[in-house]
Amino acid sequence: MLEVENVSTMYGRIQVLWDVSLAVREGETVALVGANGAGKTTLLETVSGMLKPASGRIAFRGKRIDGLPSHAIVELGISHIPEGRRLFPEMSVRENLEMGAYLARVWKDKQEILDRVFQLFPILHARQGQLARTLSGGEQQMVAMGRGLMSRPSLLVIDEPSSGLAPLVVDEMFRIIETLRGEGIAILLIEQNVQQTLEIATRAYVLENGRITLEGASRDLLHEDLIKKAYLGL
Amino acid sequence: MMVTILDIIIAGMLLGGIYALIAVGLSLQYGVARVLNIAHGEFIMLGAFITWTLYTAFGVNPLLSLALCGPTLFLIGYVLYIVLFSRLRVRAASPGAYEGNSMLACFGLLFIIQNLAILIWGADIKGYSFFAFPVDFAGARFAANRLITLGFAIVIGLVFYLFLARTRLGKAIRASAQEPEAAGLMGVNIDRVLALCFGLGALMAGLGGALISMSYKIQPTMGLEYTMIALIVIVLGGLGSIPGSFIGGFLLGLVGSIVTYVEPGLALVAYYVIFMMVLLLKPKGVLGK
Repeated sequence: MLEVENVSTMYGRIQVLWDVSLAVREGETVALVGANGAGKTTLLETVSGMLKPASGRIAFRGKRIDGLPSHAIVELGISHIPEGRRLFPEMSVRENLEMGAYLARVWKDKQEILDRVFQLFPILHARQGQLARTLSGGEQQMVAMGRGLMSRPSLLVIDEPSSGLAPLVVDEMFRIIETLRGEGIAILLIEQNVQQTLEIATRAYVLENGRITLEGASRDLLHEDLIKKAYLGL
Repeated sequence: MMVTILDIIIAGMLLGGIYALIAVGLSLQYGVARVLNIAHGEFIMLGAFITWTLYTAFGVNPLLSLALCGPTLFLIGYVLYIVLFSRLRVRAASPGAYEGNSMLACFGLLFIIQNLAILIWGADIKGYSFFAFPVDFAGARFAANRLITLGFAIVIGLVFYLFLARTRLGKAIRASAQEPEAAGLMGVNIDRVLALCFGLGALMAGLGGALISMSYKIQPTMGLEYTMIALIVIVLGGLGSIPGSFIGGFLLGLVGSIVTYVEPGLALVAYYVIFMMVLLLKPKGVLGK
C-alpha cells in the first residue's frame, strides 16, 4: 500500500534520513521505533508531503507521491495526525473536526462522519462548541485523532499520540488505535510507549540516526535484545 | 449643544464605517497572507477612479460600479499574488524574510500604480455629485451619500463575517491563518487560499474606494493616507478580527470627527498620535488578546 524506497531527506542543510525504506500493507499496523532525534517525525512528514525527499521514491497504491504537496496526498487517502496536534486554536472543536472533512468528496458527508467520531470520543460531543485552545491535553489529542479520521483515510499516519498525556488517557489512545485497526484502516505509528506499541502493531521498524537498523514482526522484536535494552529498559 | 454632540458622533460613525471596511481588507492580506500591503490605498484609489470614470464618462450609477469594482480588483489582487507574492514566499529563506520582501514589493506596487494612475487620470483632485442632498437623521443633517456609504460598509462587513464563519472556504481561510501546515494536511491548497485572501483584500479596497468616491474628493495620491488609516484601525482592533476592525474603525472615525470639529487640519495628526501611543502602550491592540 505504502512503499518508501531509499528515501533521504534534508532538514535545511542537515541530512536527517539516509536511504530509508519501509512498507505498510493494506490493513496493517506498523510501528516506527527510535530514540529522540532519530528522524521518525521527519520520515512521517516526508510521507505526508510536509517535507520533500532529496532522493528516493514514495508510492501509495502504486502512484508516486513524493514531491506532491500535502493537500494532494491527503486526497489520495493518507491522513497525517502530526506531532504536537497542530489544532486550529481559535476554532471550536466542531470546526476543527469539520476541517478534517475539507476534501470536496468528503465534505458533503461530514455530519455522518462527525457522528461516528463523536461515538469514538463521546467527550468531544460535549465539548463541540468550545475553542480548541481551551481543552486539556488529552482532549486536544482526541480532537487531533478525530480530525485525522474525518477525511476517511485508508492509511493513518500518527505521530506520538500519547506525548505528554496522563497514563489513563494514554490507555484510551491505544484503545482507539486498536478500534481503528479492527476497522481495517492501515496505521503507521510513532509511539514512545514501545512495549504497548509493539503489542498492537503487526510489524515494526527501528530507526537510528536516520537509518533503518532493524525490522520485523513486532512479536519477534519484543524479544530482540537490542530492543529490550534500548527501548524497553529490560 | 446636544445637536452638536450628536452631529459629531454620527459624523464619526459615517467616517468609521469606511475605515472599518478598508481595514478588514488589509487585515485579511496581512493576517492570513502575511503581506503587509503598503499599496492597499492604491487599490482603494483604483476603485475610486474606476467609479468616477464610469460615472462621469458613461453615467454609470456608482452603486452599480460597486458590483464591477469588486470583481475587477479581486482579479488584480489574485493574479498579483500568484505572479509575485507566491514566488517571493517560496524563495524566502524564512517567514520573517518573506514579510520583509513582500512589504518592499508592495512599496514598488504603490509607486507603479500611483504613477500609472497619474498618467491616465492626471494629478488633480476629482469628484462628482451623487446623492448629495441632505437628509435629516436623528436631529442631525447629513448628505445622503454618506448614509449609503455607511450602510454598504456594514452590509459588506456582515456578509464577509458570515462567509468566514459559516462556509467551507471561510473556515479554510481561518484554519490557514491559524495553522497553515495543518490546513494543508486537511487538504487545503494553501497557495490558492492565500491568493484568495489577497484577492479578497483587494476586493474590499475596491469596494471601499467606490464608496469613498461617492462622498469624498479623490486624487491618484490619496492612497497612502488610507493605508495608514487601515493600519491604525488594525492596531486598535486587533489583527484578523472583523468585529475588532469595526469597533476600531468607529473609534477612529469618532476621534476624526471630534478633532475635525475643533481644528480640521489636525485629524491626521491625531490619528498618528493615537497610532504611536497604541504601539507603545498596547502593542497587541486595544481590543486584542
